[in-house]
Amino acid sequence: MWRTDLFRTATFRLTLAVVGAMVGAMVLQFGLVYVQMTHFEERRSNDLLQREAGILLRDPPARLLNAVNERTAGNLRVVINGAAVFDSGFHYIAGDLRTWPEGLVIDGEVHQLTVHPPDDDPYDMRFLAVRAPGDRILVLARSLHMLDELRYMTRRAVWISVVPIVAFSLMTGIILSHRALSRVGEMHEAIERIMGGDLHERLPAGRGRDELERLAGSVNRMLDRLEHLLDEIRDVGNDIAHDLRTPLTRARARMERALARPADSVTLGQALAQAQSDLDQCFSIITALLRIGEIENGRRRAGFGPVSLPDLVADIVDLYDPIAETEGLVLLDQVNGASLGSADRLVVYGDRDLLIEVLANLIDNAIKFTPAGGTVGIAAERRSDRVLLRVFDTGIGIAEGERGAVLGRFYRSDKSRHVPGSGLGLSLVSAILRLHDARLAIDAQSGRTENPGTVFEIAFPAVGNLQSSGEIRPENPSLPTTRTPVAS
Amino acid sequence: MDDTPLNEATDGAPDAMPSVLFVEDDERFAGEVGEELTARGFSVHLEHTGPAGLAAARASQYDLMIVDRMLPELDGLSIIETLRAQNIYTPVLVLSALSAVDDRVSGLKAGGDDYLTKPFAMEELAARLEALMRRPNDTRATMLRVGPIEMDLIERSVRRDGRDIDLLPREFRLLEYLMRRPNRVLTRTMLLEDVWNYRFIPQTNLVDVHIGKLRRKIDGPGETPLIQSIRGAGFMLRVAD
Repeated sequence: MWRTDLFRTATFRLTLAVVGAMVGAMVLQFGLVYVQMTHFEERRSNDLLQREAGILLRDPPARLLNAVNERTAGNLRVVINGAAVFDSGFHYIAGDLRTWPEGLVIDGEVHQLTVHPPDDDPYDMRFLAVRAPGDRILVLARSLHMLDELRYMTRRAVWISVVPIVAFSLMTGIILSHRALSRVGEMHEAIERIMGGDLHERLPAGRGRDELERLAGSVNRMLDRLEHLLDEIRDVGNDIAHDLRTPLTRARARMERALARPADSVTLGQALAQAQSDLDQCFSIITALLRIGEIENGRRRAGFGPVSLPDLVADIVDLYDPIAETEGLVLLDQVNGASLGSADRLVVYGDRDLLIEVLANLIDNAIKFTPAGGTVGIAAERRSDRVLLRVFDTGIGIAEGERGAVLGRFYRSDKSRHVPGSGLGLSLVSAILRLHDARLAIDAQSGRTENPGTVFEIAFPAVGNLQSSGEIRPENPSLPTTRTPVAS
Repeated sequence: MDDTPLNEATDGAPDAMPSVLFVEDDERFAGEVGEELTARGFSVHLEHTGPAGLAAARASQYDLMIVDRMLPELDGLSIIETLRAQNIYTPVLVLSALSAVDDRVSGLKAGGDDYLTKPFAMEELAARLEALMRRPNDTRATMLRVGPIEMDLIERSVRRDGRDIDLLPREFRLLEYLMRRPNRVLTRTMLLEDVWNYRFIPQTNLVDVHIGKLRRKIDGPGETPLIQSIRGAGFMLRVAD
């Protein structure tokens, strides 16, 4: 098991490939040496034979026989291994080649021929036959044993070097593979533990920067993110359970008490009415959650069209003005009438019903958290690439650290615990705005200290820009703003 | 036009009980609602599956239908579409556990006349059935007269017993809606949906504040209050002849 795993590792396969390449390179190298050597030796023997023949023929013809005989006996035998003189009928006259080599042509060129001695194995020699004065033929021969020896040495060198190199490489490969395998094994064990439910477990990632550790680092970062998301989901689940349990507990306690004591119908009716309102609160939480879920699924773009912000703001102000007045607040509409002529540029692409809900939630909040005598207002502004809508108040404000959290589900600032609400209004708002590709920013009103106030700024993409992307076709092209050129 | 008897909204018509076909697959819930409607003077017939509901709607003439959107075998919207295709125009109230505005739109598109999301208050259901049975007073007359109030739709002026009442446009719209439906329970949701065209449930008592403002304007000192709050339900413009 262990061994097959080892040989299957990428490292081991890489080692095998490297070994193969090395052996190939060696064979190629030695092959070239071999060919080069053969070529060189042939040329050398040709030169030697030709030169010797020249020397012998330059001597007076009478000396030829003596010279040949001397050579066969002398130390030149090492260089010229055979020499003989034949007559024109190829009959032996002198020298150490007793018979005319079979197939030898007298053309002054060197030929390689196989010699078949009667008492020995056949072997190759190189021959040169030239005509000598006196109608004789001079034959010189040189054996190939030097080349054979060189070739033999070369072959041996190949074998002697290949075996240890291959063995060494394989050893290295096995060791490296084993190391890689054990690291992967550790990772597998860690992953098994994570899959087993231990979400805090991480892959072993040292300080090294090799590819395996970088991969482990990426996987760990992914696990961090997933763990965070899971925690969030669990928190939301807990929050939902908690927020539902509170009114349910109250309702149950009321009913229990009403059941336990004999009570007149008025008391009973009161208890039931209170229980009913507790249940209604549960339903409003569930409804809000379902709506957020539905909006976040993004199925709602069907109702999209151009929406005029001034009209929207006029409607919402019309709806909330009496409330603000009852609470002793001034509700300011800075969108209509403030900057005439720009009204038709303040058009966004969206779902009117949902945008009304956004504004209603924001104004609702603003009114709730602004003390009497304060101001709640709405302003709008057209920038080159976006349309800004601001809802501001002079209320208690949201601490800087809490601004991100208030958009989460069920978040309620400590300052607002006493104010009733599902705690889901702002998460509904941010879900709707995400559907509109709009960004929501929360800030304090500048220059105020006692009641810092809050500014909710919504940045919608400008309609012209949306249109140019070709993604969205407003349903009502007769609105002048849909033809607003893209401001750059 | 204002000859509606005072007690009709709550007591039901004495001579003929309006018949209601209620198609709902949750039998316990259907039974509960059915009993409540019977107590309010409706004659209720219950069906629990889509095909049975469709068959019942074809077989006899009902005054009203309540159809749950999600039913086994045949869903509520298909029932309505089939009925409308066969020229049966019984007013239908669609019930749904889905609150989405899109679903509401598709429910009304399929031929439903009103849409109500579960859970709902029984008063809400009763008020809406009432509204479906009796169409609003959409007379073409340019003057509306309900009890002591006179409304001139052209001049957009309102008078009570000859005294001019100065109303903001939104107050005028609200009063017109009430005057076209005198002596009927109108819930907060109905007002929000019909007068302001809003489909969400506000966290504050928006409607009450608007009604309060209107009340202070139309009820002079010593005069009989005309707009009454109906506990647990909504409001009513109550006038005696």
